[in-house]
Amino acid sequence: MKGAKVESPKNNQLVKVIYDDKIVKAFLLATLVFAGVAFLVGVLIALQLAYWPFNMNLEWFTYGRMRPLHTNAAIFAFGGNAIFAGIYYSTQRLCKTRMFNDTLSWLHFWGWQAIILSAAITLPLGYSQSKEYAELEWPIDIAIAVFWVIFGVNFFGTLYKRREKHIYVALWFYISTIITVAMLHIVNSIEYPVSFLKSYPVWAGVQDAMIQWWYGHNAVAFFLTTPFLGLMYYFIPKAVNRPVYSYRLSIVHFWALIFIYIWAGPHHLLYTALPDWAQTFGMVFSVMLWAPSWGGMINGLLTLRGVWHLLRTDPIVKFFVTAVTFYGMSTFEGPLLSIKSVSHLGHYTDWIIGHVHGGTLGWNGFMIFGMTYFLIPKLWRTQMYSKSLMTTHFWIGLAGIVLYYVSMTTAGITQGLMWRAMDGNGNLLYPDFVETVLKIVPLYWVRAFAGTLYMVGFFIMAYNVFKTIQLAPSDQTDSEVMVSATPKELHSEPETGHRRLEGLIPTFSVLAFLAVFVGSVLEIYPSLNLKQYIKDEVPVSPYTPLELAGRDIYIKEGCYTCHSQMIRQLADDVLRFGKASTISESMYDHPFQWGSKRTGPDLARVGKKYPNLWHYKHMIDPRSVTPKSIMPNYPWLADNAIDFVIIRKKVSVMSALGVPYDEKTIAQADVIAENEAKVIAKDLADQGITQQGLERKEIVALIAYMQALGQKEKKKGDDNGKTVAGSL
Amino acid sequence: MSNETDKEIAGHDYDGIKEYDNPLPGWWLMTFYGTIIFAFIYVIHYESGSGNTLKKDLEIAMAQIESVKTSTGPKVLDSEDVLLEKAKDPKLLVVGAENYQSKCASCHGAELQGMIGPNLTDDFWIHGKGNMTDIITTVRTGVPEKGMPPWEGILKNEEVLAVASFIHSKHGSKPANPKEPQGQKVE
Repeated sequence: MKGAKVESPKNNQLVKVIYDDKIVKAFLLATLVFAGVAFLVGVLIALQLAYWPFNMNLEWFTYGRMRPLHTNAAIFAFGGNAIFAGIYYSTQRLCKTRMFNDTLSWLHFWGWQAIILSAAITLPLGYSQSKEYAELEWPIDIAIAVFWVIFGVNFFGTLYKRREKHIYVALWFYISTIITVAMLHIVNSIEYPVSFLKSYPVWAGVQDAMIQWWYGHNAVAFFLTTPFLGLMYYFIPKAVNRPVYSYRLSIVHFWALIFIYIWAGPHHLLYTALPDWAQTFGMVFSVMLWAPSWGGMINGLLTLRGVWHLLRTDPIVKFFVTAVTFYGMSTFEGPLLSIKSVSHLGHYTDWIIGHVHGGTLGWNGFMIFGMTYFLIPKLWRTQMYSKSLMTTHFWIGLAGIVLYYVSMTTAGITQGLMWRAMDGNGNLLYPDFVETVLKIVPLYWVRAFAGTLYMVGFFIMAYNVFKTIQLAPSDQTDSEVMVSATPKELHSEPETGHRRLEGLIPTFSVLAFLAVFVGSVLEIYPSLNLKQYIKDEVPVSPYTPLELAGRDIYIKEGCYTCHSQMIRQLADDVLRFGKASTISESMYDHPFQWGSKRTGPDLARVGKKYPNLWHYKHMIDPRSVTPKSIMPNYPWLADNAIDFVIIRKKVSVMSALGVPYDEKTIAQADVIAENEAKVIAKDLADQGITQQGLERKEIVALIAYMQALGQKEKKKGDDNGKTVAGSL
Repeated sequence: MSNETDKEIAGHDYDGIKEYDNPLPGWWLMTFYGTIIFAFIYVIHYESGSGNTLKKDLEIAMAQIESVKTSTGPKVLDSEDVLLEKAKDPKLLVVGAENYQSKCASCHGAELQGMIGPNLTDDFWIHGKGNMTDIITTVRTGVPEKGMPPWEGILKNEEVLAVASFIHSKHGSKPANPKEPQGQKVE
């Protein structure tokens, strides 16, 4: 439509624009549906941690499979649909044009819901890559990329046909979101399919860890921060009808934020085997991120100057102001936690869980709720059904967040201090890991209660929205506005600097891409050549075929959600779990399993620590060997059969990815695995486990893997691995 | 931050949203500069080699722990006769029973009848001859290749003595459902 009517500026003609409100309504309702799902699953897993029988002994219901469902539903279904609703609403109005193409809009909508549905089915079934917030298997990864590109085309097409010469700061943030998420998702998801729903990432060990947390951290940055800052820049000034505090601050904090954020990923890997330089960069860039983040908070809060009284009377303003305040709190705490010595205390504990939920429940959740209350009456041309229910929602939700944050921070710091506590003789004060877990179980109950409060608040909103829509006028039409047919400032004086850039979308986009690309390349490129970090004098054997099969069960059950495999370069870690993990030990790990949380102990060196029978009993009923353990039972591992045939394919894919298996191992992987399984099954039978056909059950493969952990560095004169596998 | 300084920027109007031309807050800018300066100093300190690597820091910390351990570490064991005398202390047996139930029972059974690990009440011993000295040694150093973890560093010296005394006191207690004998018969 751009340029359809050529008029001189003096004779500017008005045209009617009909905004696409239906697509916004669709995304907004999807947001509410999946908020319910995400919160319900969240409360469920909180209860499972507080009281293990809530795992129900059900394969598809255990914590390890539900936790990825919760994170994916919260981030991509709840957060994602909300972002799309806000972007589709504000972009049309900021560009004074309808979305580029209605078909693309609806393709985007239905494609995204199909992705969510496939995630909701595959994650409980155990189809997972085990990379946090990127667990979905390769066909879904491809779908995500396709529909994200469709969204991108639709968005940039809308910018192209805009009737406003300059793009507003909200759109800058949307641009950087779309570009960066595409880059992060594609690079982190490069994987080699084994079968229809199984793949191995091409990255291994430290490389995979580096790329995963580059992705994982920037999922927070470019999925939960930049789009929400864009929403903030649109919806807060709209809600309070005040100008944005500082345009100059917008410019500086936008570019500083996206340039610095991309570097901060390694702060998830402090004290690990990741090379020191990468850790140092991860830390200092996180510290430098503090001010750019606060730039957004300042601009959001100071926009309210002169109308602070609305905070008392307007529930929407309550939600927005609280959201921005939590943003400020989380982005102060983030840099703090990235300081190495603070990370020593907080990493692997529930402090991190508290930190994350301050951001998600406070910043993302409350932004979304505020936006929903703003949009519902506008889209349905009515008033909210009940203002007092909105206020009730606010207070219950806020109580939930505060209780959640306080309980988890207390739990995390308590456990972190217990892990490191030593007596005067150099012994750990709490050598029993389970002792440190039991200490914080009461706080797990508090957290479950806090999450329930937050969820109840949401259900009040859902009811309020339902009643509002039910009582709305029945003749619903899309919004119509009359706008100038030509961009307003098309003929104004030549511009310089950033203002000029705001009219040049391709240049702006390329610069935004470069801002995130530079840090990415500089940090990731060195780890692509893994060899330079690996000492040849300590060669590492690849997993035997059965161990590899067992590893896939470990991944399938989501063991990484509670167990790390990374003993940090810290005295208390070494005293508790053994020698610090090395880079070479995980060099054949596609994907890496370093983990991010220790609800249970680290497993990097658990191999050969306990007999096979111990592991057997521990999997069937953890409490039979570790009284008071909170781990779920995994009885189905003794019933489910190992798929021996596919092991050959798995080994050959690993070989294609560069894992040194000899040809004989590849050709006979299934036979080798069967023989390995017989050895373990016989050992178990000798110890009195009478189950028939045990040598074909998953539990045997998992035991093989557990016994291999930390045992793969070849000692001198020991030619383990290949030849052992080959000689069977 | 008075409103007098606020000046709307002409031409900035997006769907009714206007923007002020306010400067960057001074404290904010100083914070930003401060973190950047810190970053440079920190990187130079650690990348130039003047700061310790993580590995070096770990070595120092472990050496410190080792030095504490050697100065207060386990004394040479008493003779078997002295140990046997100590093992009769009922208070020690209570401590031993508690530690046994929390640490050992999961593998050796609540009644010491043997389960994953061997029966500890019969006359058969795999490692040593079942006297106090041998039990203490096995508890301390473990038999990692057989799945018996070393308890030194987890149990204090007193606790090891207590557990060993408790086990020794249960010899011949004939629990129900004993595990079949393993190892050498010791008369």
